[in-house]
Amino acid sequence: MSKNDKQRDDSRPSVELSELTLLSQDSDIAGSPRTRDQTARVQTEAKSQGKLIRERFFRHKGALAGITLLVLVFVLAFSSIGFAGIPGWWDKEYDVLADRFNEGRPTLTLWPFSLGEHPFGQDVLGRDYFALTMRGTQTSLIIAFIVGLVAMVIGTTVGAIAGYFRGWTEAFLMRITDVVITIPTLVIAAAVAGIVAKAGIVPFALFLGVVTWTGLARLVRGEFLSLREKEFVESAKSVGASSTRIIFRHILPNTVGVIIVSTTLAISGAILLETALSYLGLGVSAPDTSLGKAINDNRSALTVRPWLFLWPGAFIIGIALAVNFIGDGLRDAFDPKQTRVKQ
Amino acid sequence: MFYFIAKRTVISFFIMLAATTLMYFLTISSGDPFEDLGETSGPEKAATIAARTAAMNLDVAPIPRYFLWLQDVGHCLVPGGISCTLGQDRTGAAVLPQLENAMGSTLRLVVVATVLALVLGVVVGIVTAIRQYSTFDYSITFVSFLLFSLPLFWLSTLLKQYLAIDLNTWLDNPQFSYLTIALIGVVAGVIWAVVVGGDRRRRLVVFAVAAVATALGLYLLLVTGWFVTPGFGVIGMLVSAAGIAVLWTALLAGFRRRRVLNAALAAAGVSFAGYLVSIQLLNDPNWLVLVALVVVLAIICYVVAGLIGGPFRAQAARIGVVIAVSMSLLIVVDRLLQAYPTLSAKAGGRPIPTTGSQSANLEGTFWEINLDYALHLILPTIALTLISFATYTRYTRASQLDVMNQDYIRTARAKGLSERTVLVKHAFRNAMIPITTLMAFDFAGVLGGAVITEQVFGWNGMGKLFVDGINAVDPGPVMAFFLVVGTAAVLFNMLADIAYAFLDPRITLS
Amino acid sequence: MSSSTAVISDEQTPVHSGPILEVSGLGVEFNVDNEWVMAAENVSYEIRPGEILAIVGESGSGKSMSSLALLGLLPRNGRCSGSAKMQGNELIGAPQSTLRKIRGNDIAMIFQEPMTALNPVLTVGEQIREAIEQHTELSPADAKKRAIELLLMVEIPEAERRYDSYPHQFSGGQRQRAMIAIALANDPMLLIADEPTTALDVTVQAEVLDLLRTLNKRLNSAILLITHDMGVVADLADHVVVMEKGRIVEAAPTAQLFASPTQDYTKQLLGAVPHLGSKVGGVLSDVEVVDGRLQIHEEYAEEARRAQADHTASGVEPALQLVDVDIEYPGRFRQPAFKAVSGVSITINPGEVMGLVGESGSGKSTIARAVTGLIRTSGGSISINGTDITTLSARKLKPLRKRFAIVFQDPAASLNPRLSIGDSIGEPLLLHEKLGREELDKRVAGLLEDVQLPVAFRNRYPHELSGGQRQRVGIARALSLRPDLLVADEPTSALDVSVQAAVLELLQELQRERGFACLFVSHDLAVVELLASHIAVLNKGRLVEQGSTEQILKYPRDPYTRRLLAAAPVPDPQEQSKRREQRSIILAAGATE
Repeated sequence: MSKNDKQRDDSRPSVELSELTLLSQDSDIAGSPRTRDQTARVQTEAKSQGKLIRERFFRHKGALAGITLLVLVFVLAFSSIGFAGIPGWWDKEYDVLADRFNEGRPTLTLWPFSLGEHPFGQDVLGRDYFALTMRGTQTSLIIAFIVGLVAMVIGTTVGAIAGYFRGWTEAFLMRITDVVITIPTLVIAAAVAGIVAKAGIVPFALFLGVVTWTGLARLVRGEFLSLREKEFVESAKSVGASSTRIIFRHILPNTVGVIIVSTTLAISGAILLETALSYLGLGVSAPDTSLGKAINDNRSALTVRPWLFLWPGAFIIGIALAVNFIGDGLRDAFDPKQTRVKQ
Repeated sequence: MFYFIAKRTVISFFIMLAATTLMYFLTISSGDPFEDLGETSGPEKAATIAARTAAMNLDVAPIPRYFLWLQDVGHCLVPGGISCTLGQDRTGAAVLPQLENAMGSTLRLVVVATVLALVLGVVVGIVTAIRQYSTFDYSITFVSFLLFSLPLFWLSTLLKQYLAIDLNTWLDNPQFSYLTIALIGVVAGVIWAVVVGGDRRRRLVVFAVAAVATALGLYLLLVTGWFVTPGFGVIGMLVSAAGIAVLWTALLAGFRRRRVLNAALAAAGVSFAGYLVSIQLLNDPNWLVLVALVVVLAIICYVVAGLIGGPFRAQAARIGVVIAVSMSLLIVVDRLLQAYPTLSAKAGGRPIPTTGSQSANLEGTFWEINLDYALHLILPTIALTLISFATYTRYTRASQLDVMNQDYIRTARAKGLSERTVLVKHAFRNAMIPITTLMAFDFAGVLGGAVITEQVFGWNGMGKLFVDGINAVDPGPVMAFFLVVGTAAVLFNMLADIAYAFLDPRITLS
Repeated sequence: MSSSTAVISDEQTPVHSGPILEVSGLGVEFNVDNEWVMAAENVSYEIRPGEILAIVGESGSGKSMSSLALLGLLPRNGRCSGSAKMQGNELIGAPQSTLRKIRGNDIAMIFQEPMTALNPVLTVGEQIREAIEQHTELSPADAKKRAIELLLMVEIPEAERRYDSYPHQFSGGQRQRAMIAIALANDPMLLIADEPTTALDVTVQAEVLDLLRTLNKRLNSAILLITHDMGVVADLADHVVVMEKGRIVEAAPTAQLFASPTQDYTKQLLGAVPHLGSKVGGVLSDVEVVDGRLQIHEEYAEEARRAQADHTASGVEPALQLVDVDIEYPGRFRQPAFKAVSGVSITINPGEVMGLVGESGSGKSTIARAVTGLIRTSGGSISINGTDITTLSARKLKPLRKRFAIVFQDPAASLNPRLSIGDSIGEPLLLHEKLGREELDKRVAGLLEDVQLPVAFRNRYPHELSGGQRQRVGIARALSLRPDLLVADEPTSALDVSVQAAVLELLQELQRERGFACLFVSHDLAVVELLASHIAVLNKGRLVEQGSTEQILKYPRDPYTRRLLAAAPVPDPQEQSKRREQRSIILAAGATE
């Protein structure tokens, strides 16, 4: 054995110290690493499941950063220009034309920090781009969360019914899902957007939700299929619990993890979908604005006024990234098998 | 198998039928087909309206109109006899010829992007799983989350604006300062050190070797004018052949059996001889000749490697074929690169195009035309690949991690198998099983993404057909687009199931 | 690893006549939540050529992990210290490249679950062959020949053809044989068998144990047997090491350990193991082999038949009566329906415990589910207190459900992880008696006391409880409505022996107190013997024999029952070796029958 090899091997435990995987813990082999002492320790500090999940979530650094970022964006977007008639702290409107100041360049400086007159600059028409971006962020957030919510409700319902009742109900519902899945999301969304985009943001978001639930339905159905064979469901059946009770009290609470995680993914997907539709000229239409529309309106400005293109882009990426990291954190939190501690 | 395909075909047919119904009615209710005429007036307008009404059957109620369209599609299913047009667009032109024009470029883009994303994603995913919780793993995790969160057209626009233009300018006069070369070397060194990992000393060594090798290689390429007249040359091909032989042997067999390595080297030698022989043959070939040559080379390598392999002939022969195919690919790349100077001159010194799927009216050899395709593909492919790459790495990583925790991996280790055998033979195939399902989903996604990329890069592909159709509320082109996309999605789903059954012997197709 | 200082020298060590393996001060730790948790410490033992050493312990005793550590196969978050010398060569802390030459060559392993321990996408033959090719210079063709020899050696029929089969095409026992073939591929000096028979049926277990014994004698390789089953130890081992919570409690030759254990834990462990035949006094005692033919005393058989007839027609209304029950699992398109149970008739009188015994696939759990209305029968009738439940609609069945209840096998899976213990126990009361909050709380508290759990447990969640505690909760839930019939589906087979003993005692006590009838489904004859007054034996969906416990255990008439009884190992080395002889005689006689 060469000295080099020896060194490498000796360094292994210390490397693995930082790895902290619990993966082997659930192994069902007798004499698994979970010793009696450890079980006893876990038992003494009895924790509710909610608390365990919260703990695991907050140990996930990425998720923590994600949720901080998302909250910041939310607060910034809604407090700055106000919402639904309530005024915000920013004094400029997104739809007021004005003279262009210094060719509309951004006045934001980070050190010393100062917002200046137009922190994100002005667009070609002289509108304050900060206000416009905030307005777009509001729209994009609203759309994303409505889409996520609608997709969650429809997907969960369809998946739960198909997975629990099996038989013809399942065949029928899953064939419908297959039909919708055959059409790429962007394509069906583009067709739907043509119909409702002009009707306003909320109907637009509702309809987008109506076409993006399929992935969730499949996942929830899969969960239901496996959970309905579990002994605790049989146990509930054997004491005469009704289907409603079994679905809502026994199975659904155990699928919350999957549902929440895929809803976050649906939300980040919806932000990008809205952007893509706006790019194709099928998204939100004036006088409303969204981040996607803001970029699309200024895409020819990339060479001369890059900030018009980059600011809304940064917000889209920020939101989507935050939501994706939150989803990852939730996945870890809900699935103890994958639990790990990042250092 | 046959029964499975037949059953799936029938089910898929009905699913497609239902999906076309949905798409058709969504399309025709998405707006007013005469909206663009709003401002105009006079007899011209009336004539246009009349013409459109006739072409789009607007005088027929929506439901019978759908059946008229179905009838047009039906004509294409009946072999011979009745003409197949897939209906008409609003100007009265048949849709099929437009679709045929558009399909080639789009499918080229989608297939290349999918294959690239799959290969890169799977390789990176497996490495991140093996090196779980390393710096490399964390970096890739972050990068894939970032890619998940990027709006495709935003990325495409940036690529077009910055990458393409700057690269073109640089290619016009390919020079670097010594500082730049050194910096590139350092960056490459850091990347390699992070990828390879290990303790500090090992990382330092890897860093130093990679940095020096990269910088030196780059310097030599610049000095020899490689970026002006690229290609591998005879020496380069010889070295590459040996490298390929060693690499595939390391991956597929290990070096414990000398005879297998010898067989691989012999196959590489045969392939190199094939390269020398083919120099004249391949001046301006066509696809048929090319494929035939590859097949001939593969057969020769199979036989030669098998003979030298002796008792290990099965394994050696397989490696021989793999080497033959890899070398063929290398030869093709070499020839394409050789066509670069003349093509670059024809393109006016801006070789990386930012619009369109091919140069208009390009006259040239087989290699020039295909290099032209390839260069046009670069930017949109990068954009599409990056997005799917993120999905493939994440899924492969999860799947590989899952497999590595299985009991049979422990059994394999308990047998004393080398880590290479454990990974390549025992883990890889099992880890690929769930990826097949992902492939089917992702392909549909990439097709959707192609709509965006085509738009950004001004391609005249199916995406444009679709977007123009939607904007004009013209179901003809939209449905033609959907027929291709939907069929591809259904087909890929079926292929994924077959691949699944192929990888997992527990699954029988029925 | 840290404390290890030894470095393997490259010189060939001379062949020792001493121990093959010397383990001293071995410790294993796992990093859990940034803390090192001890899994085993100060483990020392040695094994000589041809010897079989058993390490016995309950789950969490560290027996598996300390053995995995020998070959450097610990999970990624584990580390080990101490020393383990194989013929003088240090294993702990040796580089992977050295260990790789030892694994599968000098030391081979057999794992518990042959289904998951074999790679599902590679053929069995391939998996044996690669083990040979890894450590020898044989050509693939020769390695294949050797692999087929190995398959023949482990008694796989049609070895040539089965070489190309995948693991899922093998039965459980065959898979474990294939696993053994892999382990023996390079004639290892030491075979580590980690719970080699735990996942197998008793009859198959007996065959695999026989195989291990024969191979041990023939090849003279030592075996390190890791098991929780005292019967298996008694059957196979020469020496025993008892482990508890990561430490060695006692080590002794097998006969001595069973005859006079010195440590309390060992005594307790041995006391907790149900011993087949302890209640009725001897198993198969009236089966004799005369001239190679099996004989039983006809008068006993006659008496038994009469007793059974009396039992069935005793005049009382049976708590449970199955008459010619058929159960089918509907086939999918193009696949015929699978008949899980056919023509089963059983009668349980009020207050009686009936043991339903069978191996996996015998349909015993299917019957348990049909009796509780969870699956439909396709023929025959199931009457509970005289009411046929097979014809009732779900709505009509609901009020009847309080008359019967079921306890499931896996306490981890049978409690809803998102319901508190109190809610789980209270659910049947809530559904059937529509109690108010206060009344419900009182009843739940009473039930928790009945199963000897602290009342404070009602606010806990299943994952906070141990396996035995969870099963107590399962029992409390089942008994909450004071049912007349309790169906217990392998209620203790997922538990450690000492926990099993306590749960069985609790069940017995409650049954005596409340006098419910019980259908006790189990694969373990010794457990059934403890509890049941009557036994029914199932084989492949058919009832082969039923009668009083004494009759079934002492003079079974059906050859399958005899095989089953003969195969079950007892925790007593002397008795077990006699039983082994008896078994081979019965098998030989059975073959001629």
